[in-house]
Amino acid sequence: MRILVVEDEKKVASFLKKGLEEEYYAVDCAYDGEEALFMVETNDYDLVILDIMLPKIDGLEVLERVRDKGLTIPVLMLTAKDSVEDVVRGLDAGGDDYLTKPFAFAELLARVRALFRRKEREPAGELRVADLVLDPVAHKVSRGGEEIELTAKEYALLEYLMRHANRVVTRTMITEHVWDYHFDPMTNVIDVYVNHLRKKVDPNSSRRLIHTIRGVGYILKEIGDDAV
Amino acid sequence: MMLFKTIKFKLTLWYVVILGIILSSFSFFLYFTLADSLYTGVDNKIKTMAEIVVSSARSPFGAGTSITDLDQIMTERFGIRPLGRFIQILDESGKVGGRSTNLRDMQIPISVQTLTAASKGKTTFETVQVMGKYPLRVVTMPITENERMVGIVQVGSSLEGVEEALHELLIILLIAVPAALLFASAGGLFLANKALRPVDEITQIARRIGSGDLNQRIRIKRVNDELGRLASTFNEMIAKLERSFRQVRRFTADASHELKTPLTILRGEVEVGLKKKRGMKEYQRILASNLEEISRMSRIVDDLLTLSRADMGELTMVHEEIKLSSLAREVWEDLQILAQGKGVQLNFMDDGFTTVEGDPLFLRQLILNLTENGLKYTPSGGKVQLKVEGDRDQGVVRIFVSDTGVGISQKDLKRVFDRFFRVDQARSRETGGTGLGLSICQWIVHAHEGQIAVESKVGKGSTFTVTLPLKD
Repeated sequence: MRILVVEDEKKVASFLKKGLEEEYYAVDCAYDGEEALFMVETNDYDLVILDIMLPKIDGLEVLERVRDKGLTIPVLMLTAKDSVEDVVRGLDAGGDDYLTKPFAFAELLARVRALFRRKEREPAGELRVADLVLDPVAHKVSRGGEEIELTAKEYALLEYLMRHANRVVTRTMITEHVWDYHFDPMTNVIDVYVNHLRKKVDPNSSRRLIHTIRGVGYILKEIGDDAV
Repeated sequence: MMLFKTIKFKLTLWYVVILGIILSSFSFFLYFTLADSLYTGVDNKIKTMAEIVVSSARSPFGAGTSITDLDQIMTERFGIRPLGRFIQILDESGKVGGRSTNLRDMQIPISVQTLTAASKGKTTFETVQVMGKYPLRVVTMPITENERMVGIVQVGSSLEGVEEALHELLIILLIAVPAALLFASAGGLFLANKALRPVDEITQIARRIGSGDLNQRIRIKRVNDELGRLASTFNEMIAKLERSFRQVRRFTADASHELKTPLTILRGEVEVGLKKKRGMKEYQRILASNLEEISRMSRIVDDLLTLSRADMGELTMVHEEIKLSSLAREVWEDLQILAQGKGVQLNFMDDGFTTVEGDPLFLRQLILNLTENGLKYTPSGGKVQLKVEGDRDQGVVRIFVSDTGVGISQKDLKRVFDRFFRVDQARSRETGGTGLGLSICQWIVHAHEGQIAVESKVGKGSTFTVTLPLKD
């Protein structure tokens, strides 16, 4: 899951990036409205955390322009303005949720998770494919009741695959949603990570869940026998 | 029951009551004057007639004038035989001697008192009930010969015409007066309504304003009457209120925004920091950053407190004689370290007699704020000059703080003294500004009966000029 944080206050942007990355999200930062618009147009984000008071172009206008382009990407607004009119204006401009400063970081995380669920039309709680279970709150993964230790990137990759279970996920989708702006798409990092993940998730080759679609990408799917 | 308490109801009520009193008095007056005049007219007529009959009776015809003669006399004298007038002649004992034909077999009664009065030569008027529904007005006049009553003439006139006229008048008045009052009250209510509608409108708007909508204004149709003036005064008052409310709201919103940013950082950094175990370096970084935010917050709170105390008039100024050049020199010396750290050249100049009356702490803060500001916005290698100059001719001391910094655009120039206004949000926050420094400077200058002005060119630098009255 890839998030764009738009916040002119450097320290706020920095703790948001740090905190979100520790939750296995890929995070980019933009420090003014113009930069935010450029980033949203050039990358495929799963969520934007948008401050309202921004230099150059203010947050509400950024939001309106994003919506005018037909982008339905979820936007969580973040602002010090907390009057009812401000909230209404923000939501009417196309915001999906609203959080006033100062906020509890745990609440921000819960809202981010809720927005992802809404985006994917998923019920709350654990993600489940066959006997593979992922808890997005506790960041715990288990297979057949046995806990699996994953690194941050492996976890993020698995979560993305599980949220798109039974659908083909291309390498481009993975680079755009699991890695941040600094990722070099020319490397084979994705294949390396998928292999690591496969070793941990599919140790028993008879009941494999992660399958390679040659030349396209991967699919997470429960298949009786191994034929694809 | 609200209606009875309204001004329009009271106005109408008073109007109707007064009109009622006037109309009733007028009606009474009309009625009784007319009645009096009509009765007097009848009396005069019957008296004249009686006098004629009396004089006829004294004429050669003598007392034995016959009834036909009486009619004849009347016809001769008045040209017609008066209908509705009855004549009766009696002898001195009160026995009827003759009467006009229209009396037929009836008789005008005569009381003992009247007879006695007649015998004494007095003429009596009285109203008697003889026949029909209408009374008869009767004059009883003695016929005297040589001071002695020889007979009595009675002339009666029916009061039918008079009574009927008065009755009709009474009916007309009884209908017309209440009708007039009814119309008057309807009209009065209409007029009062019309006149007081603007008041109702003002009330409604005042109510809406009371519920927080200060955008409302009264539409003024007539500018020059009392209500028009009231409405425009009211509108001006609301406009003033709206302005000051907007200022207060803006100030509060700005203040809370200013405080919320450091709070967000504090909370966020601590929460993220506590999420898992971290190294010593990381904790130190978080604590140092938090300390920075805490001192920023206390600066904002201090500045806000100063300004709000100033607004409330709670700050007491000391009035001392102060040599501004020495005060400025101290500030200059204190800021040398900061200037050197930034690589900015900070110069000081003073010229002439620079004593003013004022509060040393506030004046020091003024010079410090302005000079610090200059240093803040001047990049390394630039120059900031602090100059204090006494002008005996104009009786002022001027403080100039000029820098070779970034400058302020024309658009922002008039807003630099506004609270929380920042030319460059990010830069000001990074340098630790509260956005209140220049507002405080402006207040200090005004409290010392001085003036503060700013000139600037983007990219070239700015000059702040403070003018304070010179103390001789």
